[in-house]
Amino acid sequence: MPTAKITFFTALLALVLISGCSSSAQVQVQSQFPQVISQPKPINGVIVFSEEFQNYIATPSKNTTIDLGVAQTNLLRNAFSGLFANIEFVSSSDQVSLENALIITPSVTEVQISTPSDTYLNVYEVWIKYSLDIADADGQQIDSWFMPAYGKTPNSFMLSKSNAIEEAAIIALRDAGAKLLLDFYRIPSVYNWVIEKEKQEAQK
Amino acid sequence: MNYSAILSGTLLIALMLSGCGATTTIDEYRPTTKAMQINSEESVVILGRRDAGHYDTDREFIDCVAKKMEGADIQVLPERQFIDSIYPWFEPRTAPKGLKRLTRLMKNPAIKKQVRNQKLRYLVWIDGSTNTHDRGGSISCAIGPGGGGCFGFAQWEKSSIYEAIVWDLSDLTEKGRLRVDSTGTSYLLGVVAPIPLLTPVKNDACTSLGKQLKQFFSVATNSAQNNSDSSD
Repeated sequence: MPTAKITFFTALLALVLISGCSSSAQVQVQSQFPQVISQPKPINGVIVFSEEFQNYIATPSKNTTIDLGVAQTNLLRNAFSGLFANIEFVSSSDQVSLENALIITPSVTEVQISTPSDTYLNVYEVWIKYSLDIADADGQQIDSWFMPAYGKTPNSFMLSKSNAIEEAAIIALRDAGAKLLLDFYRIPSVYNWVIEKEKQEAQK
Repeated sequence: MNYSAILSGTLLIALMLSGCGATTTIDEYRPTTKAMQINSEESVVILGRRDAGHYDTDREFIDCVAKKMEGADIQVLPERQFIDSIYPWFEPRTAPKGLKRLTRLMKNPAIKKQVRNQKLRYLVWIDGSTNTHDRGGSISCAIGPGGGGCFGFAQWEKSSIYEAIVWDLSDLTEKGRLRVDSTGTSYLLGVVAPIPLLTPVKNDACTSLGKQLKQFFSVATNSAQNNSDSSD
């Protein structure tokens, strides 16, 4: 075989092998989340899931996108149902119909990832930073609560980059649900609002 | 000449394989030597600790220990099924680290109901990891138009350290602790083809821990349990 042909096939083989090492990943997070075990408070809550939030696609690095929209909406829908006895989900604040409700608008502030090539650790990690804008029925802001969530894969062995990031993102979303249920009523401004509401109800 | 070469080769391989055994030590602490009673309808769940920053107790190890325990007529609830059934109270952020927190959790009627529905009696926490260290030697592989091959020698040591803590959900007490420590060296020989001589350190730790945990429990049939209850 002529040398030119051997060189050509070797170059082609090398190109195919190198393209297999490409580090780009488009991740679609698809997961069913379990029903929360919780005793909701007798409070009205309206959750505003904007179109942007429901279709949110994060770009934590130039080669990676994570489609979180559907998964995070399902997760938060489930988690908020464990907080409020009466709950309404809307896509904009002008659709609110529940009276005397806490109106919560979640948004994603930032999504970060770290891969074994960044940290030299054998794990993939995902951080999702949420912001919850909490307002009363009159539209007065009660608080803007920063809610970070974190997830990591146990190890990266035999996992493709996409699968590993998806697994870490699912763990981060579950962590967001846990943080919300554990800490929401501990936010001082929300706690005070609830106490005030209870006092008003008692006076009626 | 041929026979002596074959014999020497076989001896060398046997010698190397004999070096591939793991050394496993188990420490056990129990307040009493009595086996823990478990009704044949009750179940045990084995959970991995995942709240440390630098390691996670891997699910593969938890599943392995669960399989080793199942053989003794003990019903073992799958870890994922239990964690999902009680979401979000056993996530890394929320899982109880001590009995005080568990007692507080069990005061929640919804959580208590879930535990009762699943007839869960014992909770076994496993915390630990398997690490590779003391790597040595080097091996290199090359490929060319005329063929390829690997030459060299590499070795590494693995250690598996896991601790298991058993909690009784009926009276919310700790029933015992087990610690397994397993180490072993693996080799990779490059003699044209790479020949791995691996020591199953993690598997040894899992088998030893599973067997020892099995001995903690004594399965009582319903009738035996009823008889003993009535005699009390």
